[in-house]
Amino acid sequence: MQDRILIVEDDPETAAAVRAEVEGLGCAADHRDTLEGGIAAAVSQPYRVIVLDRMLPGGDGVEAMARIRAGGSSALILILSALGRAANRVEGLEKGADDYLPKPFEPEELRARLRALLRRGTMQVLDNDLLAFGELEIRLKARTVHVRRAHVAVSPKEFELLTYFARNAGQVVTRMQLLENVWNLHFDPGTNVVDVHVGRLRRKLEEAGSQAIQTARGEGYVFAPKVGG
Amino acid sequence: MTLARPMAARVTLRLAALMALAVTLLSLGAMALQYRLVEARLMAAQRAALAADLAGFGALYDQRRIIALRQAIEYRATAATGEEMLVLLDRQGAALAGTRVAWPAGVVTEGEGFAVEPAGIILDGGSRWLAVARDLPGGFPLLVARSLRPVDETLAAMRRGMLGLFAALLLAGGGVGWLAARSVMRRIGRLNDLADRVAEGALDARLPGARSGDEFGLLETHVHAMLDRIQNLNRATHRLSDTIAHELRTPLNRMLQKLSRIEGQEEVTAGLKAEMRQAIRMFDSLLDISRAEADAGTGGGLVPVDLSAVVAEVWDLYEPLAEDKGLATGARVAPGLRVLGDRNLIAQLLSNLLDNAVKYCAAGDRLELDLSTAGDRHVLRVADSGPGLPEEMRAEAFDRFTRAERDRGTPGHGLGLALVRAIAARHGARLVLPEGPGFTLEIHWPRLQQSD
Repeated sequence: MQDRILIVEDDPETAAAVRAEVEGLGCAADHRDTLEGGIAAAVSQPYRVIVLDRMLPGGDGVEAMARIRAGGSSALILILSALGRAANRVEGLEKGADDYLPKPFEPEELRARLRALLRRGTMQVLDNDLLAFGELEIRLKARTVHVRRAHVAVSPKEFELLTYFARNAGQVVTRMQLLENVWNLHFDPGTNVVDVHVGRLRRKLEEAGSQAIQTARGEGYVFAPKVGG
Repeated sequence: MTLARPMAARVTLRLAALMALAVTLLSLGAMALQYRLVEARLMAAQRAALAADLAGFGALYDQRRIIALRQAIEYRATAATGEEMLVLLDRQGAALAGTRVAWPAGVVTEGEGFAVEPAGIILDGGSRWLAVARDLPGGFPLLVARSLRPVDETLAAMRRGMLGLFAALLLAGGGVGWLAARSVMRRIGRLNDLADRVAEGALDARLPGARSGDEFGLLETHVHAMLDRIQNLNRATHRLSDTIAHELRTPLNRMLQKLSRIEGQEEVTAGLKAEMRQAIRMFDSLLDISRAEADAGTGGGLVPVDLSAVVAEVWDLYEPLAEDKGLATGARVAPGLRVLGDRNLIAQLLSNLLDNAVKYCAAGDRLELDLSTAGDRHVLRVADSGPGLPEEMRAEAFDRFTRAERDRGTPGHGLGLALVRAIAARHGARLVLPEGPGFTLEIHWPRLQQSD
């Protein structure tokens, strides 16, 4: 069955752009342009993801999250809002949003976030200690990385970076996602500080013989290790 | 805040002292007048007694000259009370009669009658005497004097009483003045405390309790009305910036969406997107600055934050960037230093500073970070050996859109340091910009009291 995504957004242009991304991901999109309409739709049928604006006719999407949850919806919520300052983002996440993307957004960024959310919904809890991608092995408890059975020395931050990549294997991960999830920083530092870190990790893996991290031009990075290669 | 209290106490003291002094001086004036009157009366009484003595002696002298006088003096001397001094000498200066044998030293005779004037005051035996010294016809010096001891003793007692009264008045006046001044100062102090709290950013601070019907009550009502107005303006500014954020982001967002639909001109669209990202960043920085400035001092939204941890994290984020640029880096971060803050804002502040350092330094420069405690402050110090601030820019380096002429070629919009200042102010932290080669900035954070 096709995954359904609900878009609650009062700006038609933005709604159309979101719908295009949703349909590009092979999901079905429903659109509501008021908060009340959105809440009613959210509780009427199961959605995988709800893309929720904040300053809507009828109120603030962040305040409506509790009502959506209370209505029985288990959808993951992505706040898409013009209230984009770090404080707004942290507030949204603390009040229960699963992700928070400030407007204006680039379509690639939205696509990466929607993919991550859709994947989160299906991903089994990894209770085993080992994440193995062919010749690349990550041991979570020991915090070690091995390529072709050889140990690769990584810094604690590089280890976190690698596990985040591994959890989103095969998908584009944007710099903003890395800053938010690995460094827990919710602002745009301007220069691409993240690139240096990814570059270092990537070189270490390449020196050990793994081409796991690749650049997705204009979008971010993809962790795509050759399994069984 | 630190000044207000001692100042109020000083004013209270000054008022109290002034009141005590005024009361005391007035009473002292009245007492002095009384003292003079009593002194004059007593002196007049002594003079009258002396005049009576002299008149008596004069009458005897008129009847039988020196003989009678001598007898009278001898008689008086036997019944002397110590209140009088009588001496009669013969031509050779030997004593004929008197309460004492010797003529007191230094007393010169004047005239020869028995009139009370001219009289002089002499010192003898430790007390003062009102004395009349005459040379009677034939060369008989006569001294008739009355002791002024009763007068002096009365006056001394009066003076003692006055001194005691003076002290009591000073104390009472001071006390009453203190009480009066304190009640006034306390009411002014309430207003001062309110002003302090407002100045520190607590715009919603108000004085509790009912207004009194007097001028103070009126003043409080006026101050409250003023604060209400400021608070409303502040709220309106917040609303406006949020509205601008929304209204301007929506069209920008549409542009970005449309830009993504253009195909076949990747380089142009990528360039445009980068430009738009810059514009959005500038816009975010402006919003962040004005919000941080508006929130400065309110303390609202701040939570205990491990400053050491945030600083170490941001340093770890930037250090590779600095190393790749060829900078020599070094960091000393004392662990476990906590402040009341906003983690993301602190990270943003340090990120701006490190970003600047990396941007303006060249390969071979040094970049150092130091976090330690000095007194009641945590001091975060970021120092580089780069070009530093041009001398003429030091004053306004932290203003919005200030950029050095020489940096026109470097990307940026001159908001980094303005944001640093606004975030520091939001946390009640002080910026110190030491002189010296390169750029060094110290941020003095208020320590979080380890109560919880």
